[in-house]
Amino acid sequence: MIRTENLSVGYGKTPLIEDICLRLRPGQVVTLIGPNGSGKSTILKTVIGQLAPIRGMVFLDGRAMGALSPLEIAQKLAVLMTGRVRPELMTCWDVAAMGRCPYTRRLGILSAGDREKVWEALSLVHGEELAPLPFTEISDGQRQRVMLARALCQEPEVIVLDEPTTFLDIRYKLELLAVLKEMAQERKLAVLLSLHELELAEKISDCVVCVHNGKIERIGPPEEIFTADYIKKLFDIQTDDSELFVFRGGKHLRCGRTTGTCAALAAQGAARLLLTGQIPASAALTTPKGTRIEAPLEGCRLEDGSAFCSVRKDGGDDIDDTHGLLITAQVERWDAPGVSIEGGAGVGRVTKPGLDQSVGAAAINRVPRRMIEQEVLSVADELGYEGGFQVTIHVPGGEEAAKKTFNPQMGIEGGISILGTSGIVEPMSAQALIDTIALEIRQRAAQGHKKIILTPGNYGLDFLRAQGMDRWGVPVVKCSNFIGDALDACAAEQIQGVLLVGHMGKLVKLAGGVMNTHSRSADCRTELFCAHAALRGAGREVCQALADCSTSDACIAVLDRAGLRETVLDSLLSAIQDHLDRRVSGTIHVGAVVFSNQYGLLGRTRRAGELIDRWK
Amino acid sequence: MGLLALLAALNLKVGSVRQADEAIVWRLRAPRMLAAAILGGGLSLSGFLLQTFFANPIAGPFVLGISSGAKLAVSLTMIFLLSRGLVSTSAAMIGAAFLGAMLSMGFILLISRRVRRMSLLVVCGVMIGYICSAITDFVLTFAEDSNIVNLHNWSMGSFSGIYWDSVGVIALVTGAALVLAFLLSKPIGAYQLGEVYARSMGVDIRLFRVELILLSSLLSACVTAFAGPVSFVGIAVPHLMKRLFGTAKPLLMIPACFLGGGAFCLFCDLVARVVFAPREMSISSVTALLGAPVVITMLAGRRRERD
Repeated sequence: MIRTENLSVGYGKTPLIEDICLRLRPGQVVTLIGPNGSGKSTILKTVIGQLAPIRGMVFLDGRAMGALSPLEIAQKLAVLMTGRVRPELMTCWDVAAMGRCPYTRRLGILSAGDREKVWEALSLVHGEELAPLPFTEISDGQRQRVMLARALCQEPEVIVLDEPTTFLDIRYKLELLAVLKEMAQERKLAVLLSLHELELAEKISDCVVCVHNGKIERIGPPEEIFTADYIKKLFDIQTDDSELFVFRGGKHLRCGRTTGTCAALAAQGAARLLLTGQIPASAALTTPKGTRIEAPLEGCRLEDGSAFCSVRKDGGDDIDDTHGLLITAQVERWDAPGVSIEGGAGVGRVTKPGLDQSVGAAAINRVPRRMIEQEVLSVADELGYEGGFQVTIHVPGGEEAAKKTFNPQMGIEGGISILGTSGIVEPMSAQALIDTIALEIRQRAAQGHKKIILTPGNYGLDFLRAQGMDRWGVPVVKCSNFIGDALDACAAEQIQGVLLVGHMGKLVKLAGGVMNTHSRSADCRTELFCAHAALRGAGREVCQALADCSTSDACIAVLDRAGLRETVLDSLLSAIQDHLDRRVSGTIHVGAVVFSNQYGLLGRTRRAGELIDRWK
Repeated sequence: MGLLALLAALNLKVGSVRQADEAIVWRLRAPRMLAAAILGGGLSLSGFLLQTFFANPIAGPFVLGISSGAKLAVSLTMIFLLSRGLVSTSAAMIGAAFLGAMLSMGFILLISRRVRRMSLLVVCGVMIGYICSAITDFVLTFAEDSNIVNLHNWSMGSFSGIYWDSVGVIALVTGAALVLAFLLSKPIGAYQLGEVYARSMGVDIRLFRVELILLSSLLSACVTAFAGPVSFVGIAVPHLMKRLFGTAKPLLMIPACFLGGGAFCLFCDLVARVVFAPREMSISSVTALLGAPVVITMLAGRRRERD
């Protein structure tokens, strides 16, 4: 649709960016990214003919732009540029209707067909209700949507947008881009835009163009461009200890490292110190999620054959109770090969069953254990050491900090837990998460899906895979803890059947009508087990045992011993079904499947059975 | 709107006839009334076009110094021709005024490239106006006495002394400009969203800008040539019309501004002629007295909107 050949652009005579060769095909979304002032807008202005190219050519539909009349261009190419428009006394409808200009006759009077197209374009941007309002009296975000409707009215084959998301809040950003993506796919519209939100660029683009240092530095599909290393280079982000960023809610939030990552980094440094006798300046590792993390080492010393190194916990912009603690690894040689990992002062100890580690073990979860082992062994490998290691993790001040965490309720005593499965802490605001979930559901609905499987997280995905449910062709949407919001979104999009698949520990809360299952929001798991067990004839002792449990798995074990598992689960599941039905007010069929990592499938609600039989 | 114009016309014709005979009405007042209506319309339309062009609600032929430029050129021409003992024709007057208007416009365009702030542009326009007025006064000082009275009257702005032959020319020029402006409704509407969007919606910007400049200059030149500089009509009337109709759509605004301007000038001329009769006020004094408050309230209102 659009092609540039050896294009050089800039203001005046000096080129700002040279040798631009872009290609835009129908149905493609191409996004320009790059730091401010890199020339994204200049390129776009040249492509739409607002600036004359310094060298080279722009072709529209195979013909040189210069040879086309303004009218011919207008029927093929629509634009949405930055800069506010303040037309006097125009309603939103008037503004949108301006898009019909290239098609109306001399005086610009709209025909019935034109009017229909204006309404259609307004409905595409969900702007029908804006139509009668004065354009200058609506919000920036609404204005942007109306301007987009105007561009769509032009029935273009190409649409060029310069930072269209600038004034929008996250919900409308997602919505605007969803509209563009949809138009690209359905109407074979070619979309060329610049964005400064990288996570949005990654989501929407078929092809990403990186503008940097006076040239197009890279062009490629998003998965090739969005590597942490390259993005840092592109935006000249200076980092001493490789800091990571995520873009959430339009903000640039700094990622932190989990306690597990800190422990593994410290262990790596200590092992190196132990084997070489030299103090390493920093340690680096690749997290299970594949990002590289580097951190400075503190308090490195050798003492009686033990090496000590510490790394400071950093929650990034997601400050939690463990932020700022030093995680120290003490590493000693061990005669037998292999790595033994222990928890020292400040690291909690498991006192109740049902957690990641067994009773009596240090509260260092599986993934961090594996990371620590991997790091020290790789150091040993590198330095040709063939013996084993004894690694002890200490957290000075950990016992104090742990009192503010959920550890006491979980049955972890004496310190914090060393945990984290991905290795990095990605901060995210709740509203942004809910918006993202709702958007994903909307997109599924837009693709014509009438069924959806919701699952809170990765456990659920693993379970679906293990059960073969991911092969049913029903889209799976991760809804995190926002089960109520996800159901609302499904109801709003007129999804007909929703199957909720989740871990007992989360979904049992639904039996009490708690629809945000985050432990900060509410925790009534044992209470619910207790209440339903009592209803089904459990004695005081059983109820007491349930009340003492720290996890739902432990509750199941208690019920098993009392021979009450079936009947109590039935009772809980029917309560879950009732609350689900109430939330959606019977508008959609919704059922739940409950499992646990320890026991596998635990049960399903009445509706879930029906849905599964139908969907299989 | 047509009704309003008719009303004003009747008002004018009847209001001050008294015992005067029909010949006076026919030979003096009828052409004067028609000229006031048409020129008022032209002035207001010229204001509307300039406001669109500069995307600025206080742009107008008087404020931007275009009327004064035309005035200067006309004075020079008049003095030159009279000193040679020639009678100046309508065509020569319009030609000179157009030239003067274009010169002022050229200056304004040059300045508008440098300054982005619209308030500055207006200040520059006012300055140009003062310079032109100063030169005009200077020239008048050296003109022969017999010409001065005539010239002085004219340079204050007045619809008196316009006869039937001039009305024909006025109607022809203004009418042509009105039709041409009406045919530009669509690009004018698109231009209200800004140059970038207008271009992207198929408007040939370069051609359109030239057309707009020529038309607005022609209109204000025509007014100046016959009635001298008339202030504030170009700003106040389009603003009043936009408020009245609650829209800025050129398809409606172009005829509305024309008719509204006509009615406004008829009324002002009536006031100028009748209030202190038999003495006449200059038309510019009356339009300023009535128009300036409108402009001030408009500016105050805009400031409030923005805050």
